[in-house]
Amino acid sequence: MSLLEAEREQTRARYPDSEGYVERDGVRVFYEVYGQGEPTVFLLPTWSIIHSRHWKMQIPYLARHLRVLTFDGRGNGKADRPSGIAAYTEREFTDDSLAVMNATETESAVVVGLSCGALWGTLLAADHPDRIAGAVFIGPAVPLAPGHPERNVHSFQDRLDTDEGWAKYNRHYWLEHYEEFLEYFFGRIFSEPHSTKQIEDCVGWGLEMSPETLIDSQDALELCGLERFRDVCTRVRCPVLVLHGDEDAIRPLAQGAALAEATGGTLVTLEGSGHCPHARDPVKVNLLIRDFVESLPGRTA
Amino acid sequence: MTTAVGAPAEQTRARYPDDEGYVDRDGVRVFYEVYGQKEPTILLPPPWAIVHSRIWKMQIPYLARHFRVVAYDGRGNGKSDRPDTADAYGEHEQAADALAVLDVTGTEQAVVVGFSWGGQWSLILAAEHPERVRAVCFLGAGPGLSGKAFPYEEYPFDEELDTDEAWAKENRHYWLRDWPGYVEWFFSQCFTEPHSTKQIEDAVGWGLETTPETMLLTEEAPTLEPAEAYELCARLTCPVLVVHGDEDGIVPYAEAVALAEATGGRLATFEGSGHCLQVRDPVRFNLMLRAFVESVA
Repeated sequence: MSLLEAEREQTRARYPDSEGYVERDGVRVFYEVYGQGEPTVFLLPTWSIIHSRHWKMQIPYLARHLRVLTFDGRGNGKADRPSGIAAYTEREFTDDSLAVMNATETESAVVVGLSCGALWGTLLAADHPDRIAGAVFIGPAVPLAPGHPERNVHSFQDRLDTDEGWAKYNRHYWLEHYEEFLEYFFGRIFSEPHSTKQIEDCVGWGLEMSPETLIDSQDALELCGLERFRDVCTRVRCPVLVLHGDEDAIRPLAQGAALAEATGGTLVTLEGSGHCPHARDPVKVNLLIRDFVESLPGRTA
Repeated sequence: MTTAVGAPAEQTRARYPDDEGYVDRDGVRVFYEVYGQKEPTILLPPPWAIVHSRIWKMQIPYLARHFRVVAYDGRGNGKSDRPDTADAYGEHEQAADALAVLDVTGTEQAVVVGFSWGGQWSLILAAEHPERVRAVCFLGAGPGLSGKAFPYEEYPFDEELDTDEAWAKENRHYWLRDWPGYVEWFFSQCFTEPHSTKQIEDAVGWGLETTPETMLLTEEAPTLEPAEAYELCARLTCPVLVVHGDEDGIVPYAEAVALAEATGGRLATFEGSGHCLQVRDPVRFNLMLRAFVESVA
């Protein structure tokens, strides 16, 4: 039981008003609902390396104004950890998201997706335009522009003779030095000064899952049918807001800019921000999300 | 020309003063700021010339929404002058500055927050001018009533040492040799809580706005003897709140216990907090201070 291994959760500024599990094909994911107003803001999971607590700086604020829905994606938190690459494809995350909306009687929502969560969010918006009223993507990890060159130097699958820098992004290193990998990775994510708390939180969440599961989810991301992603983007009809830090060391700003362009959305560049501005600069990001929601058609200010 | 020339550009503030100016005493100018309007007034004296009034930056915006707040840069740092004699930094001079700031800002009476060394200055002010001080909140303060040694007294200050490890940096020769090294060490001991890098960086920046030569004068200045401090405590008639972190690495927690007993004040303990708990845990401290001020208003 991974939950028994997890450290006791920190106290929260706001606790959910309701929570529960949704099961699909024997895999359970865990959702939480906060607040009441309309519309619902749906905070999607990202890569399984962290779970829904990474939204902790958004939930208390947004829930004062809107209904907030979030869930632990498969692989971490209170969700199950199925084994095998097939369990972690973008389609599974998208279908989980839809199942959570159904279970919570959420007819329509504004989705917010971080990093890989932009993949599931874009798919949801493209395939279910009646359910998705708007989409906010933060530091989107999308294949619309090249990644950082330094991340393409080393093989993920092969055993390497170095573990310097991004060479740590390697399955063998993960299996043998998982915590060191997490510390390196989140150190790169939080490139802003004074991020020790955010790094410590994320490393803790990363330790709630196993490197074996993380490898499955990584391999699944590699298998995504991404050549079709641009076509998916053109099918998105809802308003889109992309937030991207210009010092994002995980995914270059060019990917966020390309997603905004491909979906006809708006790009807001966050100067000096890294990959997780919602955790490091939450007031700014929360206000941007709220303003976006208030600007949607049918909203009366 | 101001003494702030050469200081790094100040960070933006959450709240800017409504009024500011200098008060001149015997040719030494002290810079003050006034925020907000609602009485009572809260006076925030400096704690030691190693920082200036920006140390209160997490208090001012909140408190000024509810009260009038007066803060000032103590002599030796910030926009205040750096007099060149030790006597100018004595505790009675510091208390006289506090009184002069009350006068120049038209403040008849204030709740005074005496932080660290500022605790001694606030104690003198409250004991000698009881009509001007409605209440005192001592914060991380220790006028030597506990009989316990302070961590920074581990090594002789004036002797050349053969080490500069840890508190061996509390030493005249080390200060002159590597003031930035001392400032970094000192604030690492002020902020013992995890995740304090921002607070340390801020405070180190303020510490570099003064010089080791000026700081040596503050060390040589006349100080209160414990017996004198005890006598002043006994004279206090106003309400007293003593706030202290039980992991304070500068002023031992035992000092707060002794101070509360000597003044008949209430002791509030912040578990796990270090010396600058108002900087590191501002919401909790601000709410406590506000409740205290409202209880004496």
